[in-house]
Amino acid sequence: MRLLLALALLCPLTAQAGVKDVVDGHVLPGTARFAKATAQLDVAASADCTAEAIRPAWNDAYDAWLGISHLQLGPIEAKGRALAIAFWPDTRGLVPRALGSLIAAEDPIASNEESFGEVSVAARGLIAMERLLYDEDFAYDAGEYECNLVRAITHDLSRMAVEIDTEWREDFSRTLLTAGEPGNDTFLTSREADQALYTALLTGLEYNADQRIGRPLGSFDRPRPTRAETWRAGRSLRNVTLSLEALNDLTEKFADTDTTWTGLAFADALSVAVDLDDPIFRGVEEPAGWLKVEILQQRIELVESSVEGEIGAALGLAAGFNSGDGD
Amino acid sequence: MIRTMTATAALILSTGAPVLAGKAEVLSTYADIAAAGYEDSLIKAQELNAAVDALLADPSAATLAAARTAWLESRVPYQQTEVFRFGNPIVDDWEGKVNAWPLDEGLIDYVDASYGGPSDENELAALNVVANTSFTLSGEQIDASEITPDFLEETLHEADAVESNVATGYHAIEFLLWGQDLNGTEHGAGDRPWTDFASGDDCTNQNCERRGEYLKAATSLLVSDLEWMAAQWIEGGEARSALTADESAGIAAILTGMGSLSYGEQAGERMKLGVLLNDPEEEHDCFSDNTHNSHYYDGMGIRNVYNGEYVRVDGSTVSGESLSSLVAEADEGVDAALRADLNQTMIELAQIKTAAEAGFSYDQMLERGNKAGEDLIMSAVGALVTQTRSIERAVTALGLDQIGFEGSDSLDDPDAVFQ
Repeated sequence: MRLLLALALLCPLTAQAGVKDVVDGHVLPGTARFAKATAQLDVAASADCTAEAIRPAWNDAYDAWLGISHLQLGPIEAKGRALAIAFWPDTRGLVPRALGSLIAAEDPIASNEESFGEVSVAARGLIAMERLLYDEDFAYDAGEYECNLVRAITHDLSRMAVEIDTEWREDFSRTLLTAGEPGNDTFLTSREADQALYTALLTGLEYNADQRIGRPLGSFDRPRPTRAETWRAGRSLRNVTLSLEALNDLTEKFADTDTTWTGLAFADALSVAVDLDDPIFRGVEEPAGWLKVEILQQRIELVESSVEGEIGAALGLAAGFNSGDGD
Repeated sequence: MIRTMTATAALILSTGAPVLAGKAEVLSTYADIAAAGYEDSLIKAQELNAAVDALLADPSAATLAAARTAWLESRVPYQQTEVFRFGNPIVDDWEGKVNAWPLDEGLIDYVDASYGGPSDENELAALNVVANTSFTLSGEQIDASEITPDFLEETLHEADAVESNVATGYHAIEFLLWGQDLNGTEHGAGDRPWTDFASGDDCTNQNCERRGEYLKAATSLLVSDLEWMAAQWIEGGEARSALTADESAGIAAILTGMGSLSYGEQAGERMKLGVLLNDPEEEHDCFSDNTHNSHYYDGMGIRNVYNGEYVRVDGSTVSGESLSSLVAEADEGVDAALRADLNQTMIELAQIKTAAEAGFSYDQMLERGNKAGEDLIMSAVGALVTQTRSIERAVTALGLDQIGFEGSDSLDDPDAVFQ
């Protein structure tokens, strides 16, 4: 704390955040890519709804989601979309329960495009699909109820992705870029827009360290490999890597200041991720493997403190409240 | 406000230099409200304890109903203290003992077959300690022949490092008094028969004596935990000292508690998530169907600490120099907006409470496709999100925005990260 205040006093607060660069170079390409990937997933499911046939398109959609999932403001936060797209972590096992009850009842809502958005978020989105595509307990054949359910989910995902892309393009970009101007009720000063993006950046980093890695780590004495994100699909580490790459891109577009340390910290964390030969963090069950995963967590925390010390201090910003506050 | 201005004017006259009004006094009001709130919670928990004694001494429909009433009353002051959690580590570290939620209630007592068994996340989800005098925990045999406060606190609570193994606190007691709510998103709360505590042949669902033992142990523990917390806030108490050690950090702690409870916890975890999941178990007080009150008094607690005023359970008022006046001195517009936002939240929460008390219960609001319920809850969520933005503006107006918020260890202690 003292260090940061000292830095803040030393640096004249003239630096500007690159909100326009973020919107044009990071957000809009990302939302367009997610819209395209989910549309392709929906097309794939229409053609052949068996698990084997749609796994590649599901993975592409997940990759695209990781490019924007940290943008927890505006269209992605609205209408519970973030949770409807990816309900994770599922700390109470609600995904299998919600899917199980739809399947047991052969709930006709799966054939009702208009109403499917009312279904519990635990039975919608990419995480519910992972169960259907990769969990043997949910294995199904073409022609069974699950096939319809998968199509309903892909359709719903594609719809939300288009809405997010459209709302960013036609509305929320302007809200961010006109921060502080008369008539803008969301961001009363340009600093509030900077702070919103800065909060998204730090919260995204924290989410990777605390959730994506912290959950499977558990404690040294009680590791929890089955709490890793999408371990059934074999892509837990990949999620961290892609998310870090996206956050690095956000940082580069956002900061018009010197980001030497932050850039080094990102590069370091990413190289640790590349070298970690543990795609679903199963290694946490052994002491040596646990420590290796913990090192990745620490390197991400180092990125967080670099962002705070270098970018936050230069711009005079601190993170606002985020949805991870609380329990 | 008038008093503030007068005091400030007097100071200016006497020293000749402008002096900002009272961070110390604002902190003192806040600590006074905390002390009164925890003392009220303690008083009500003692009443609950007496009602549980009466129930166990003479089980009947009437004594069970009286214990339930005492529990409902005990929630009124306690929920108003939740705003103290996130800004004060001493409260946050302790809170899980008394108000942990959600819980896998099958750990404690019998549940319906639809509840399921052990889950991926929790091997003890269906342990039923009331029915089992010993069990295996991480390969070790555990003796549960006597259900004591110590056993609940040290062994069963968060057993196997699983947070939903909630063995103590308000919600464990609530489950023992009401039982599972098996009405789904239909109207109706848990309906445990009083005979679950009866002796001899009258006993239903077996193990009545152990069930009573559990209830008594959990209630005694609640009383002693609240005694401890109330003591932390009196003059010289540790929570008060920690808060006042650094005045600016103390003010930031108040706002952190307000913002974290408003946004991540209440708007997100407790309200929006329930709507998105259509899951009646996402109700905060799900066994008793008291969720509308739980949310309402949470909101009230946030408003209390900003306005510097708390109405105690005996009707008397604790008040003093408010954070509102401090913010107003820095920026009147920010203060006015925040006060309006807090009031709007109370109106939205009151609408939920009003509908629930008229018979449209919170679990019905969560039903899939229930537009009226969703609108009621999401309007309150919207108001809570709006007030969070105003709280952030108050932080900025007071120049406190370089103080680390919850979760920013690195901001508080960069040395620890760079070592």
